[in-house]
Amino acid sequence: MTTRDFMQLDVFADQPGRGNPLGVVFGADDLDTAAMQALAAWLNLSETTYVLPATQPGADYRLRIFTPRQELPFAGHPSVGTAHAVLERGLATPKATNGIGTLLQECAAGLLPLRIDGDGAQRAIHVRAPRGVERSADDRAVLASLQGAPLGDARPALIDNGPRWWCIELANEATVRQLAPDLEAMAAANRADGSVGVAVFARCAGSDHALVVRAFVPADGIPEDPVTGSANAAIAAWLHANAALPARRFRGSQGREVGRDGVVEIEVDEAGEVWIGGLTQTVIEGTLTW
Amino acid sequence: MVTRRFLHLDVFAPRAGAGNPLAVVLDADGLDTEAMQRIAAWTNVIETTFVLPPTTPEASYRVRIFTPRRELAFAGHPSVGTAHAVLAAGLAAPRDAEGGARQLVQECGAGLLPVRVEDHGAAQALFVQAPATQVLARRSGADPGLQALLGTRLSTAGAALIDSGRRWWAAELVDEAAVRGWAPDFDGIAALASPHDAMGLAVFARCPGKDYGLVVRALMPFHGHYEDPASGAANAALAGYLHATGQADGLGERYVVSQGREVGRDARLALVHEAGRVWVGGATQTVVSGRLRW
Repeated sequence: MTTRDFMQLDVFADQPGRGNPLGVVFGADDLDTAAMQALAAWLNLSETTYVLPATQPGADYRLRIFTPRQELPFAGHPSVGTAHAVLERGLATPKATNGIGTLLQECAAGLLPLRIDGDGAQRAIHVRAPRGVERSADDRAVLASLQGAPLGDARPALIDNGPRWWCIELANEATVRQLAPDLEAMAAANRADGSVGVAVFARCAGSDHALVVRAFVPADGIPEDPVTGSANAAIAAWLHANAALPARRFRGSQGREVGRDGVVEIEVDEAGEVWIGGLTQTVIEGTLTW
Repeated sequence: MVTRRFLHLDVFAPRAGAGNPLAVVLDADGLDTEAMQRIAAWTNVIETTFVLPPTTPEASYRVRIFTPRRELAFAGHPSVGTAHAVLAAGLAAPRDAEGGARQLVQECGAGLLPVRVEDHGAAQALFVQAPATQVLARRSGADPGLQALLGTRLSTAGAALIDSGRRWWAAELVDEAAVRGWAPDFDGIAALASPHDAMGLAVFARCPGKDYGLVVRALMPFHGHYEDPASGAANAALAGYLHATGQADGLGERYVVSQGREVGRDARLALVHEAGRVWVGGATQTVVSGRLRW
């Protein structure tokens, strides 16, 4: 039995309780894969990450990401939250690159850059998401699960940026916020086409967020995810491919329908890469004995 | 922003990871009901408790218990775990009770309840007294409905509908392998439980020659086909039923239950029968110890 440093964070949150929780375990070098999975299952957070020494040149640290059921090669909110935790602990120092603080994260999906701006509860961290590409798929079953909700301008598309998200624009913010999908039908559609879930969104004129987003993952036993980095990145990639971005930089609002109020900052850079990020709140800080 | 002491415990666990998780927020004064519910939803632990000063001199401490969705008046594993947290934090000390026992008195939504403290060298076991069990119905091992659900796994002792606050069907199976090897038919369990407003089905078997007297699995069909890794209330009701119906002779006044291996845990619960009442308890492991900022 070993005691390690542990943090439980709230990611994409401007105050505790508004975002997506994340467990971060430090000093995990001697935990094997089975132990990491067992601990992530016991903690029952949407994701738990393990911070390890970097093995590749240039990387600041390495992390492994586990849901209660499986290991993931990459995910947005665990990357943002783990970087926050590493910086809070002073385990890495951002490098100044063109006047912007950067870190290089090593994970199973490769080396991914992070941008750092600010400190503590006001520290914004952005991670470059893997490129989103459209996969051909039949949208009829997944659209049927939306029970006739009116659609928006963008064509529904299955976007692959690691996970495969159905990205479906609805007519307006109220349609998104009031949507009550048929989750059993949606889960069946997701299983049939290999998608992780369904991200619905709408434009919000005159608001402090340009998009409202909701993400449903019923096939994995999660009716609705509170705040989802990869789904927001997939939507941005699809809007960019359609020359329909609300702006180069904008905010997505997600989670109010499940009692949270997350904010995801999204940027599409000159090279067409999508960056997602936001604030992280340190909620629990202590030690973990396992 | 205020920080409070926080523990994430493993209850009924001989080692970390073997039992039923519980989050405990100490120093919870100043949090209103809505904030407690939001914290419990955010931790996503099956139960989160909040420790407050007692409002009566008879009580050692006061606790409020929340699932991610609602507040509970009482529950077994949160009471055992919270008492562990209170002792570990030095917020209360056990008092001498009758019969040489030492106990804390927990104030909760269900009133004042004793929590007994047993020291076994460095290890400590805590016990809560369970409500009395009523046997509402019994079905023999030849019952066609039970046969359809459990087949040859079912023992001749059959099953009973038992109630100690919450209702459970309890069915004795022929042996340990029959319990551990069963792939539960949750739709069938729902059909059994639903007409009686029962939580689900607890299947159990006697385990001669093992360091536990019973193996138990608690199967709950109504919230996502859930199997409980360690059930204080269901085991207490089961113990009350076995004692009340003369089926506990081979087990004795004190026996141990093995539960949870089928869902990746390995919990141990101790069931004590004394003066007509059942106490359920076990060891608690502290997994996370730190501070919560909210």
